[in-house]
Amino acid sequence: MLKYIRERFAEELTGPALPFVAFCIALNLTAGQITAALKIPLYLDSIGTILVAVLVGPWSAVLCGSTANILASAFGNPAMMFFIPVVAVIGAFTGYVAKLGWFRKWYLVGLGGILQGVLAAIVSAPISAYLFSGVMMSGTDFLVLYFRSLGNTLMDSVLYQGLASDPVDKLVSYAIVFLLVRNLPLRLLSRLHGAVNLRTPDRAQ
Amino acid sequence: MNFRIDLPTKLALVLLLWICAFAVSWEAQVVLVLLIIMSRFAVPDFKPQSRRSARAFTRFLIYSFAVATFVLILNSLLIRGGSTFGSIGGFSLYQDGLFFGIRTASRLLLLTFAILVFFISTPLKDLIRYLQARGLSNSFALILLLTLHFLDQLPARIHQIFLAQQARGAPVDAGFISRSRALFSILSPLVLSSIVESIDRGTALELRGFLHRPTSTEESQSSPGQRNVLTLLILFLSLIVVLYTIAQWLLG
Amino acid sequence: MAARIDILSLSLRYSDTALPALDSVSLEIPQGGCVGIVGPTGSGKSTLLHTLSGILGKHHPEVVVSGQLCIGSDTFQGIPREVLFPTVGLVLQDPFIQISGVRDTVTEELRFTLENLDAAGQGSDQLIQTMLSSLGIEHLADRAPTTLSGGETQRVALASILISNPSVLLLDEPVTALDATAQNRLRSILKSLRGRTTVLLTDSQIDFPMSVCDTIVVLDRGRIEACAKPAELLLTGKLLTNVGGSEHWSSLVTPLNQPSSRRPGPLNRIRKALGLP
Repeated sequence: MLKYIRERFAEELTGPALPFVAFCIALNLTAGQITAALKIPLYLDSIGTILVAVLVGPWSAVLCGSTANILASAFGNPAMMFFIPVVAVIGAFTGYVAKLGWFRKWYLVGLGGILQGVLAAIVSAPISAYLFSGVMMSGTDFLVLYFRSLGNTLMDSVLYQGLASDPVDKLVSYAIVFLLVRNLPLRLLSRLHGAVNLRTPDRAQ
Repeated sequence: MNFRIDLPTKLALVLLLWICAFAVSWEAQVVLVLLIIMSRFAVPDFKPQSRRSARAFTRFLIYSFAVATFVLILNSLLIRGGSTFGSIGGFSLYQDGLFFGIRTASRLLLLTFAILVFFISTPLKDLIRYLQARGLSNSFALILLLTLHFLDQLPARIHQIFLAQQARGAPVDAGFISRSRALFSILSPLVLSSIVESIDRGTALELRGFLHRPTSTEESQSSPGQRNVLTLLILFLSLIVVLYTIAQWLLG
Repeated sequence: MAARIDILSLSLRYSDTALPALDSVSLEIPQGGCVGIVGPTGSGKSTLLHTLSGILGKHHPEVVVSGQLCIGSDTFQGIPREVLFPTVGLVLQDPFIQISGVRDTVTEELRFTLENLDAAGQGSDQLIQTMLSSLGIEHLADRAPTTLSGGETQRVALASILISNPSVLLLDEPVTALDATAQNRLRSILKSLRGRTTVLLTDSQIDFPMSVCDTIVVLDRGRIEACAKPAELLLTGKLLTNVGGSEHWSSLVTPLNQPSSRRPGPLNRIRKALGLP
């Protein structure tokens, strides 16, 4: 198993991939600066992970997301450490659908984003419920409160809140990455392992 | 044999505190949280390594107090059992919910403060070198170190692109749709330039032989004389706590 | 020890383009020699260097190649398909990219190269000190590489490659971002390498190569248009006229034939640098 994992990483982490993954980890941690400056209510804290998943591969995306969360913990938000399984799932799932070629067509990107959001909600629910009682000090806490007031258990309330917000958030992130990569020249991208998943007969080099 | 707080000791402590977060009573967890917070001020090895770390600690202290309060109130309102002890806005607060909230909050605080104090007192580069000496691959170590390098540069680069786009008329202050379009005019050059730079950097690393670099073979404890007793004690204590908790669970 | 380079009718074309990037290039570079490759943007200078370093063959397996290449005792049918470091060291055009970005001081930056070669053990400190002294950057030993000027970074990048003791040193447009003082320093360093390392450098202007190289090769659209010693190029106006036939050579060639009356033209600057009347 360990040998298999090492081989996958060796396959994906070629020379240019190393600095690119590092850049995407940093992007995960600083993308909020862009949205804050433009006053757009998005976090984009997974955009780097999704970029790596599409352009490099699923294993590197898991590494990217996990490392970003560990560094976020190191920089003053230790709660992020506990959501590593969530970002790992985001990276793995996105890398897998990218391998299937879903990032070539807009409607598959849309479907992928929604599925990703559902998956993220399912994985994050037990973490959020058990460790945080559903409290994340954000606007979504009121959604949890609302679902609980309807008589649902904590776990169900957190899950419903996740299902209400995560698919939208992930759909937007997927769409942003799709629009970003579709116009990048393939000859430039060809040095990254995942670029082959973007190749179509009509796409100019 | 030596008896000091070094990096392996701190890692062992985090492990012990995380085990305690699930194994001991909430009263003990509260005491542990207070001890951790006091150690940040009283124990030199747990003091913040930089002003940024110190500020991060203070910010999190305030934030965690707010989270803990919210957890207590939320659970007191929603878990109805036992006697009431107060009300907020006409809604009663219940004792069972309060105790559940206290258990949740104390566990959360213990888990988060354990990691936070570890990170604020340990320079990241030291941690990376320690892991590398113990078998972390050169590629992973390089990614971590380059990330720190980019984290320094990226805010300035984003700001430059933002100003450049603003100068050519990007609608950064207009309506929501226009600002969303402006998002692409910032992200696109940022991502494109990063790919170009990554290719060049990757090439430069290969040209310096990095990809064929041998993995570090340094042993974690080269001789018994250098073993840290404190680390071993803490690990032993962790094992005792785990076994005790399992025994308690098995015996009902 | 320096290595001889023999390039025999080397042609190289990317599979998705019709025009060759290198077209029947034949060149002999003697052991320890210093050759300057000049030409406009897109003439194939960087392609040639990247081919010699092995990086192009490794990352573009699809290139269509013919000809032969010999570097030292190694012969390649076509081009090398692996990076030839440390035998061949390539200093990239942008020295800031060449710096790893993961080391806190210049000394550690040089040690990074030695670690890659598994040579960072005993004696490495002395080796690093010697390298810093030979390039005149011992005062930068404890400085952070990211705080250096363009010229200083250029020398650190050069040191990071030279410390591996390459037989061939390739420099891709090394003076683009350097002021006159920094260029003079680089000139001295390259002269000190004469005989010990084979040097191949590229430039889109002719001034610097003329003042430091034994031989100048003029490359245009992947083809060698001229190959001569600097003095021969300078004194044989006919050769330059032939080379200057194509439009995009005007910026390179015209100043040599028609020096400006308002300031000392490139022709006179070169004459002065070579000690010619």
